[in-house]
Amino acid sequence: MTAQEAALNRQAIEALQPIHAPPTSFFRKYIWSLDHKVIAKQYLWSGLLFLLVGGILAMMIRWQWAFPGQPMPILGPTVLARSGGVIGPGLYMQIFTMHGLIMIFFAITPILIGAFGNFTIPLLIGARDMAFPWLNALSFWVFALSQCLVIAAFFGDLGAAGAGWTTYPPLATNIGTPGTGQTLMVAAVFVTGVASIMGGINYVTTVIRLRAPGMTYLRMPLTVWGQFLTAILNVLFVPVLGSAALLLLMDRIFGTQFFIAGAAAVKGGGDPILFQHLFWIFGHPEVYILILPAWGIVADLLSYFSRKPANWYRGSVLAMSAVTVLSAVVYGHHMFQTGMNPLLGQGFMLLTLIISIPAEVLFLNWLRTIYKGSVRLTVPMLFALGMVFVFGFGGLTGLYLGAVAPDIYLHDTMFVVGHFHFTMAAASFLASFAGLYYWFPKMFGRMMSTRLGKAHFWISVIGITLVFGGQLLVGYAGQNRRLWNPFEYDLFRPLAPLNRWTSYAAFTLFFGQLIFVWNFFASLARGQKAENNPWQVGTLEWSTSSPPPPHNYDLIPVVLRGPHELSNPELKAALGRDWVGQAEVVATQLPGAARASGRGAT
Amino acid sequence: MPSLVPQILAFLGGPLDAVHLPPDGSESGWRIDEMINTTTAFVSLLFVLMVIWMLWSVIRHGPEHEALHDHGAEWKSWRWTALVAALIFFVVDGDLFTRSMIAMRGTYLDFAGAEATPGAVRIEINAHQWAWNARYAGPDGKFNTPDDIVVLNDLVVPQGAPVIFQVTSTDVIHGFNVPGMRMKVDAVPGTVTRMWFQPRDAGVYEIICAQHCGANHYKMRGTVTVLPRPEFDRWAQVTSVNAARAYDPKDMEAHWGWEWTEHSRVE
Repeated sequence: MTAQEAALNRQAIEALQPIHAPPTSFFRKYIWSLDHKVIAKQYLWSGLLFLLVGGILAMMIRWQWAFPGQPMPILGPTVLARSGGVIGPGLYMQIFTMHGLIMIFFAITPILIGAFGNFTIPLLIGARDMAFPWLNALSFWVFALSQCLVIAAFFGDLGAAGAGWTTYPPLATNIGTPGTGQTLMVAAVFVTGVASIMGGINYVTTVIRLRAPGMTYLRMPLTVWGQFLTAILNVLFVPVLGSAALLLLMDRIFGTQFFIAGAAAVKGGGDPILFQHLFWIFGHPEVYILILPAWGIVADLLSYFSRKPANWYRGSVLAMSAVTVLSAVVYGHHMFQTGMNPLLGQGFMLLTLIISIPAEVLFLNWLRTIYKGSVRLTVPMLFALGMVFVFGFGGLTGLYLGAVAPDIYLHDTMFVVGHFHFTMAAASFLASFAGLYYWFPKMFGRMMSTRLGKAHFWISVIGITLVFGGQLLVGYAGQNRRLWNPFEYDLFRPLAPLNRWTSYAAFTLFFGQLIFVWNFFASLARGQKAENNPWQVGTLEWSTSSPPPPHNYDLIPVVLRGPHELSNPELKAALGRDWVGQAEVVATQLPGAARASGRGAT
Repeated sequence: MPSLVPQILAFLGGPLDAVHLPPDGSESGWRIDEMINTTTAFVSLLFVLMVIWMLWSVIRHGPEHEALHDHGAEWKSWRWTALVAALIFFVVDGDLFTRSMIAMRGTYLDFAGAEATPGAVRIEINAHQWAWNARYAGPDGKFNTPDDIVVLNDLVVPQGAPVIFQVTSTDVIHGFNVPGMRMKVDAVPGTVTRMWFQPRDAGVYEIICAQHCGANHYKMRGTVTVLPRPEFDRWAQVTSVNAARAYDPKDMEAHWGWEWTEHSRVE
């Protein structure tokens, strides 16, 4: 390519994503902003706020299991004053329902996908913004509307939703939960689904269309891969949830009977199991929707802070893609006890067990990445390692539940609760914090305190292990889930002390998060100013300023190599440091440097 | 002072004393227990290896250690990853799969074999918020007739014979769950599901609702009392006679039950 051709080429690239003048009005800067970084922060704030709400609800559940029927301190005299500070059985079922729905749809989803997806995708692939910035802003505000519906649900007649997060009819119809709170929550899930689909379309299009020149699919950081695959799952499967929610709303409001049967149906009747099929066709991909971004972030961070390339990058990409495809065909394991056709159950068991192969490949890649590295135990790295640890618990306990025979005993026990909290809650939660500590300097231009971050890490990882480990243990002993007072049953009465100890761990975990809250706000206000590249990592976002300008990059970068080119001896000799930018032109094109951009080292 | 040590240990370990599988009173619950325990052994080993590996890497390959520049992308390297993944799959998952298939096909789903066993007891369960209605066919062997034994929550079954349940619900989904027999199945309105077990040990076993079914889900409790066969037969005879005596043809609420066939739906 001649110099003239190169210049023309450059012009064409820039013309595709022209720089717009930054907005000046308060409304366009902070409310209806089209900047993906601002939208990411909007998602972050709203997600963190609802994480707090979901956490408080969790503490109420834990209080009930530790001291059933006793007045609760702090919340008792204030929020629960009307019932004398006591959580009654009717309120209890609303608490665990709202805890589940809020954590999944209104806390983890906005933080992990809304905030990190929005912030990282354009920056990490070298784009100036999302493919559809206007749709992006709309997606957030539709999401905010769904959060308003959640808040409204708390004030519904007869209280909030109470049919469990799975919202199984007929309990979720007027037969079991006639209040407006349940209707508002089903509506909230439908509306948040609309926001997720808009976000998903945007993410997929952005990754396909707006990668910088040279940013091939196999040079994308694994973070982007995680978000990309999650977005694909969102676009494909959230509409199924939407259809289920809509049909359920019709049963609730217009008196249809899609999901009502038996004597409860006035005449004819539908099929409650149909809802479960619709719900879990979405619901199983949903657990991967929540974990794929976490896997991506952790896989990258383990490499960056071991100063070593991610082991078998292609294998990780393949494994994540395989999980994405398989996630659509394993959902039946949630329904083994519904009287499902035995052959179908056995088929779903085989498919479910097969999904452990790509999961093992990912795990082994993470373990081999840190081996023989030069591990820096920074706060993001600690959280990434913590995520591997808790995901070990979560992944391995999934084996029991995927097989039809042990599931007969373990289904609907606290073992299931412990399992999915280790995977969906603990792993996503720790990966979110890993990402937050890691990208905080880029998001806000300041550093967070390392000392407080480490304290937050230890209290979180130990607390999580004890809380969800305690759930696994009582579940192994048979304790069923969603019981207002499990100790009404003779079989579970001896488990009361263990439940109480688990609750103590949960309270510690909850109050330990105050360290994070303090660290977050104190660092925002007066944290040390961040350099452009405080972690010494070569991906594109660290080549622009902290925080980046509204248009991200003055010149769209031209990518030369993969994201994990760390500790390459030739480049080390040429540059005097162990990292190299993905778009960095190395003057002395040594054979090794050339190879670093070639096939073997994508 | 030395007496304090066992006290502290008891204090710390006390809550864990209750952590074990519930006593198994069935003939074939051991299949599930064995699978759970074997899998626990496998996954504990894997987890310990993982933690040792992580600690080793973090401690021995710290900041002073020079990082190895290795993408692990060559066949010679990634074949080990693939091999270990395949090995774990075939051993751990393979074990679970094989045993599950044997247990399901040979025992838990062998309704034909259970039905054919002489002395098998058939019970229809109709769950509602928040109790278990149970119906035995009585001497005529037909359900929904005046000689049926109808009990609420407290079931009686014989030792050493298959007990077969057909289960439905009138309102919302419940979970018919007898952990002491290692068996559970959902009670779904509009559908008849089924399960069976064979009690081995006499005693009382709790029925615990497994599916969230509303505010009083936590006390939807029942019992299965396992009696030696002669005692059970005596109980069945007496109860059936009493039931026939108390039969009220006008009490429509009490008239439920279905023909005992391979049902999938009730209207």
